[in-house]
Amino acid sequence: MSASKFTRRDFLKLARTGILTVSGLLGLGGLIRFLGYQSQPPALTEFNLGLASDYSPGSQTLLQQVPAMLIRSEKGFTAISLVCTHLGCTVETKPDGFTCPCHGSRFDPQGKVMRGPASKPLAPLRMEITPDGKLKLYTE
Amino acid sequence: MMRRFLLLVGSILLLVSLLIAAWQETRKVRPVALTPALTGKVEYCLSCHADLAEISKSHPVKTFGCVVCHGGEPLALDATLAHSTMRGGKNPSDFTVVQTSCGGADCHSGSPDSSRNHIQRATTSIQDTYAGAIALIRYTYGAQPSLTALFGIVAVEDNMNTSGITSLKAFTSTNESNPQLKLFGENCLVCHLSAQPVQTGGRYDHFTGCSACHTPTQSTNLVSVDTSKATQVHTLTTTISYTQCDTCHNRGNYDLRSMVFQPRTDQPLDRLHDYYQPISQFTKCEYTLDCIDCHTRSEAMGDGSLYGSKFDIQYVRCKTCHGTTTDLPQTLTLEEPNDLAFRLALLNPVVVLKPGDTILVTEKGEPLWNTRLLVDGTYQMVGKATRQVFTFKPVIGSGCQQDPSDQSSAACHKCHSVQR
Repeated sequence: MSASKFTRRDFLKLARTGILTVSGLLGLGGLIRFLGYQSQPPALTEFNLGLASDYSPGSQTLLQQVPAMLIRSEKGFTAISLVCTHLGCTVETKPDGFTCPCHGSRFDPQGKVMRGPASKPLAPLRMEITPDGKLKLYTE
Repeated sequence: MMRRFLLLVGSILLLVSLLIAAWQETRKVRPVALTPALTGKVEYCLSCHADLAEISKSHPVKTFGCVVCHGGEPLALDATLAHSTMRGGKNPSDFTVVQTSCGGADCHSGSPDSSRNHIQRATTSIQDTYAGAIALIRYTYGAQPSLTALFGIVAVEDNMNTSGITSLKAFTSTNESNPQLKLFGENCLVCHLSAQPVQTGGRYDHFTGCSACHTPTQSTNLVSVDTSKATQVHTLTTTISYTQCDTCHNRGNYDLRSMVFQPRTDQPLDRLHDYYQPISQFTKCEYTLDCIDCHTRSEAMGDGSLYGSKFDIQYVRCKTCHGTTTDLPQTLTLEEPNDLAFRLALLNPVVVLKPGDTILVTEKGEPLWNTRLLVDGTYQMVGKATRQVFTFKPVIGSGCQQDPSDQSSAACHKCHSVQR
């Protein structure tokens, strides 16, 4: 009998090993996918806006990612939320203030209601300047 | 030997099981999460419905999401489960569920500003109650001694009590002794805003509630289309073409002897013949304009009070826009930023209204916001559905000899009418 003959036993052993290997890989893939699942990340409530000195006095900067309007006056920084206080649409900036494209509420440049249906002013947002001169904005 | 064989079989079964699981995993809908600004709660509806167009400028999906209006299971990825708790099936504006779907002080009910309480107005409107027709038919067949409205399609109360009718009972055909009235209830009360539609599927899924008017069908009208297949686009609009009104008002007529609906048999090919006209004589503007260019929101949707006849709420006449031989039509110069005219123009921006503009107003003070007084004393109207621009003159100075005290449409139609 030749030593190199591939027996039925060898075939079964190889098949079993192959199947178990593939199964193991599939199971491992499933496990990695399961462990790698990322749930919906919570909405950001803190925004780093870079160096405060990058915003010149008298400037108004639209922060679309918030959304908010960052205003630097002679007195310092203020920020107004651009989320309409009626139902939550994002208001648009206009020369005379802000207008909600959904239901037509209008706000003056300070966020005060000029026309309904919104009844509350646009919310002012909390800000701080870190010791190293960076600007942070908080929506909560 | 047997042990090795069993081990191999077990390995094969394990592999097959894993392959089936992997295959099923690839078939699953990948969740697309949306957290609407209004609710702040995650919903997965866009996993399957990402291709739907925005329903309206006033209801962007990023702000509203889907569930706040439609209901349903926000986190389900299985269609059957996701849709199992939807309100009103395909029509969340059906009046049985409209308060939950569309109501709320910031939305369409319960606002201190009564002009925003659309649900209260629509559910007491003559389009919903059908009170006048029910009273007329019951009076005709001797079931009541006068034309006073007693019944609506559903029971409804008028808390405002400004019209003299405080409530309507639900009309129930089984309570009627006259067989004609039983037939009336069974055959005729199927196409008003709270009525159970005569069919389901296609157009009929949106035949009730707000969507009957505000969700237009893709097809032209019910006269010329297969109604079971005609569908709506995912739209809420105040741009309501006459064809949308035609879906209810121009399909045919009920034979009051048999109480059986007789559908139209003609196939109108132009606007003149397609347009709904309940009167035999009418003028060019009565089919060139769309219904909503003349008829106001309170005429169509009611004013929050119950009425016993459409003639008690429908009041716009020729003189509303044209005046009489002695009086100009009423106008209003817009100054107040919260004027209703601005809001209506925002919803259907066919005109840009500015403070200082002078528009026509009806005898009840409702703004005809798509009109404007021009500097030469004539008037301009922009079609709310067609965007066509029309200019017209007041009666004063025109040579019209109509009696100022007779402002019925028939009096105007003696000189101004077209034939079809």
